[in-house]
Amino acid sequence: MRLKVNGQEVEVQEGTLLLEITDPPHLCYHPHTETRGLCRLCLVEVNGRLLPACATQAQEGMEVRTDTEDLRTLRKTLLEWLALFTDLSLAPGLQGLLEAYGAHPGRWGRVPETRKEREPIRDNPFFLRDYAKCINCRRCVDACGEGIMGVWALTLEGRGLLAHPTTPLDRPLPETPCVFCGNCIQVCPTGALRPLSMEV
Amino acid sequence: MRTTCPYCGVGCQVEPEIQGGRILRVLAPDIPPNHGALCVKGRFGLDFPFSGKRLLYPMVREDRRQAFRRVSWDEALDYTASQLLAVLKRRGPEAIAIFPSAKTTNEEVYLTQKLARALLSTNHVDHCSRLCHSSSTVALSRSLGGASMTNPIEDIWKTDLFLVVGSNTTETHPVIGAMIKKRVRQGAGLIVVDPRYTGMAEAATLWLRVRPGTDLFLLNAMARHILEEGLWDQGYVEERTEGFAEWRASLEPYTLEEAERITSVEKEKIALAARLYATTKRAGAYWAMGVTQHTKGTATAQALVNLALLTGKVGKEGAGLNPLRGQNNVQGAGDMGALPDVFPGYLKVSDQAARKRFEALWGVELNPEPGLRMTEVFEGIPKVEAIYLIGEDPVTSEPYQDHLKAKLKALPFLVVQDILENETTPFAHVVLPAASFLEKDGTFTNTDRRVQRIRKLLDPPGEARPDWWIVQELGKRLARALGRPWALYPGPEAIWEEVRRAIPEMMGGITYRRLEGEGVRWPCPHEDHPGEAVLFRERFNTPSGKARFFPVHFTPPAETPSEEYPFTLSTGRVLFHWHGGTLSRNSQLKEAYPELKVEVNPKDAQRLGIGDGEVIQVVSRRGRIQARAWVTERTPEGVVYAPFHFAEAPANRLTLNALDPFSRIPEYKVSAVRLEKLD
Repeated sequence: MRLKVNGQEVEVQEGTLLLEITDPPHLCYHPHTETRGLCRLCLVEVNGRLLPACATQAQEGMEVRTDTEDLRTLRKTLLEWLALFTDLSLAPGLQGLLEAYGAHPGRWGRVPETRKEREPIRDNPFFLRDYAKCINCRRCVDACGEGIMGVWALTLEGRGLLAHPTTPLDRPLPETPCVFCGNCIQVCPTGALRPLSMEV
Repeated sequence: MRTTCPYCGVGCQVEPEIQGGRILRVLAPDIPPNHGALCVKGRFGLDFPFSGKRLLYPMVREDRRQAFRRVSWDEALDYTASQLLAVLKRRGPEAIAIFPSAKTTNEEVYLTQKLARALLSTNHVDHCSRLCHSSSTVALSRSLGGASMTNPIEDIWKTDLFLVVGSNTTETHPVIGAMIKKRVRQGAGLIVVDPRYTGMAEAATLWLRVRPGTDLFLLNAMARHILEEGLWDQGYVEERTEGFAEWRASLEPYTLEEAERITSVEKEKIALAARLYATTKRAGAYWAMGVTQHTKGTATAQALVNLALLTGKVGKEGAGLNPLRGQNNVQGAGDMGALPDVFPGYLKVSDQAARKRFEALWGVELNPEPGLRMTEVFEGIPKVEAIYLIGEDPVTSEPYQDHLKAKLKALPFLVVQDILENETTPFAHVVLPAASFLEKDGTFTNTDRRVQRIRKLLDPPGEARPDWWIVQELGKRLARALGRPWALYPGPEAIWEEVRRAIPEMMGGITYRRLEGEGVRWPCPHEDHPGEAVLFRERFNTPSGKARFFPVHFTPPAETPSEEYPFTLSTGRVLFHWHGGTLSRNSQLKEAYPELKVEVNPKDAQRLGIGDGEVIQVVSRRGRIQARAWVTERTPEGVVYAPFHFAEAPANRLTLNALDPFSRIPEYKVSAVRLEKLD
C-alpha cells in the first residue's frame, strides 16, 4: 500500500505501524512489552487528526505529518510536564529531547506535591524501585504481565499526579509472584527501576 | 560486549557492563534465543567470577594427609602428566578417566576428549549430562538417530499444544517457561504431567498430577487409548517408522483403568490428554529431569518418543520432541564427543570408518572399545586409579554422597580443574585454576543446537588460565613423553577450525565470523547454509531412514515407601540456584534463597505436627540432613521435595545410586525417607 509521509510517497506492507516508517519521539512503546499509545509523545498528524504512531497502522492513501508546529508545541508541553513531575536525572535520552524541543518546565511554576518526593523502595536483594523517576510509561507492568513473563507482580496504582506502577496492594516484591527476572529493569527508560549493583 | 549466559541450556545472550572489577548491570540484546528477556540467574547471577572462593594458583600435594602447596604452572602440569603416565604404564588406559565439562566451551571439550583418546588411549570420557539427559539421549538416538531437540525454541510461537512432562520449566529454563506461558495466553493448550504444582502446572489447561515415578504408565496408556480411538497417524506410521506391530502388542496391559490405579490420575483426564495430543497437529512434547532421573528414565523417554511417532509429530514445525537441556553447554559437550562411546559428531568409537576418520585427523591409532560412563567410573574405583575432573563437583551432584566420598578417598590420583573451590576440591591431589566464562573466548551450543559465541571481557584473576590452555599444555607434556603428535593452537578459533574439519557435515559451515551476528544451528554443512531448524523433515538419521518404535514397560521405582520410611523424596532445583550451588551460591543469588527448604504437604505436616518454617530432619536409609520445612500444596501428600544445591544440607546424602540399565542415570527422583522433628 502507498501513503504519504511529510509529502513523500512511501510504500509499505499491510500491518506496518506508523512508528516503523516515521521517527517521532516516543517513550512508552517497546516491541517486547506491546505497551503503546500512553505517553502521547509519538502523536503524528494523520489526515488532519492527531494519532499515536505506535498504535496506528499504515493505511492506503494516508497523509501523515510528523513535525508540524502544533506537534512541536504539544511535545514541548508533554515533556515539560514529565520534567515537572519526575526526576529525569537518569534518563539522558529524555533530557536530550527536552533540549531539542526547547522545553522549559520552569514556566509552569512549582508543583505542590508529586512523585518526586518519593523515597526509593528497597525490598529485595536485586533492584530498587525509585518512583521519583517514574514517568508512568507502564512498560514494566507490561513486561511483568502480558508482554513477557506472565507473573503480574506489578500493577498501576493511584490517580493523577500520584499514579505510579507498584506491586498489588503495595506489597514488598518478595511477597508477590515476582521472579526477579529484571525484565522490568531492562525496559525501564528512566532508571526508576535499577539494579542495586549500580548504587555506590 | 555480548556474550552467552553460563547457567542453563536456553543460551540467552547477555551484555554485562563491567566497571571497576564488578558487574554494574546486565542487559540483553534483541536477538535470539531470548530477544531481550532474561531470568534472575542471567540478570543477577553472573558475578560469581568475582567470588572470594576463586581458585587462583595451581596447587599440588602428593598425599591427602598433606596440605596443598602453591606451585608454578610448569610444576603442576609436569606433576599431573607424570602421574597420569605412571598410571597408564602400570595399569593401562582403562585405569584413567577424564570428564570434560558441560560448562566449558565446545573448543575445550573437543580438546579434552582428544587428549583422552589420542594421547591416553582411553574412552572413559563423559560429562554431567550422564546425570541429566542420558536417558533421553539413549531413547532418541536408538529411535531417531539423533539426540537433541528436534525443533527450535522459536517453534514455541507455532505450537498449539504443549505436552510438558517432568519439567519445572519456569524455574529451570525460565525464559522458555515464560515463552510457553505467553503462547498459552495466546490460546495454545498446555498439558502438564508432574507430581508437583509448579509454575507450569499453574499455567496448565490440563494438569495430570501423577504419582512420582509413574509417568511411563500414563504415557503408554495415552498411546493405547489413541490406538483404540483410531486417532493415530496411520500414514506417518506406515511411511516413516518401523517396529510398530511389536510395540502395539506391548501396550496391551496399559488400560485407562489400570493407569488410574497406578498413577492416581483420573482416567477421563488421561483420555482427554491423549485425545488432545493426538488431534492437535502442532503439538510439541517438552521434558526434563522428571522423566529421565529414574531407573526407568530411558523407558519413560522412549514412551514419549513412541507417542510422538504414533501421532506423526516428529519432523514438523511447531511440534517435535524437545528435551530441555540443563547446563549451558550440555548439547555442545555431547556434540564434541564428551561421551564414552562416541567421537565428536556422535560417530561411534566402535565403528571402523569413524575411527579411521579421527585416526587420520589426529595421526594416532585409537582405542575401539567404548569407555565407562561417569557413574560406572566412580563405581570402578580403585580399579580406576586416576580421574581428571573439569568443572564438575561429584560430591554434591552424585547420589548417595557418603558412598561417593568413600570412593573418592580410595582414588589414588584426582585432578580438579575448576574456577571455584567446591565440595570435591578437598579430595584432589592437583588443583588447576581455570578461567571463567567472562575471561575467555569460545562457543557454547544451546538446547536447540544453536552454536553461540562467548567473549573475553576480563583477564582471569591470579594465575587462572582458560581450560583450553591448560589442556593444551598438559597434552604437550603427555605427547612428548609418549612420542605422539599433539597439535598446538594459538587460540579457541583455531581449535574450532579443526572441529569444522573433523565433522563438516555438522559444523562445516559455522565460522567465528558468522557467529559475530546471531548463533547458527547445526547441522550446517557449508557457509551458505542457514543452519537447520527442524530435524528429520524427510528422513530419520537411522540406517533405514525410518524411526523405530521400542516397547517399554513400567516397573516400580527401586525404593518404595515403607513403614519406617513412609515418604517419597524427590530432588530438583529452585529458581534462584544452580545445580551444586557452586556458581549461584557465590553470586548475588544466594541472598534470595539462603538455605535449604524442603516442601511438605500441609496434610502430612499437620499429621506430624510440623509447622511452616520449622527445622526438621529428613532421613533415608543412607543418611540424614537438616532442613527448614516449607509447608505447601506444591508437593502432593506423601511426597517431600528437596533442592540439591546446598552443600551443608546435601539432598544427595539421601538419594540412592540405583541406575537405569541403559543410560546409567541414577534415580534421583524417588527415594524413601521419613521426617523427624527436632527435639
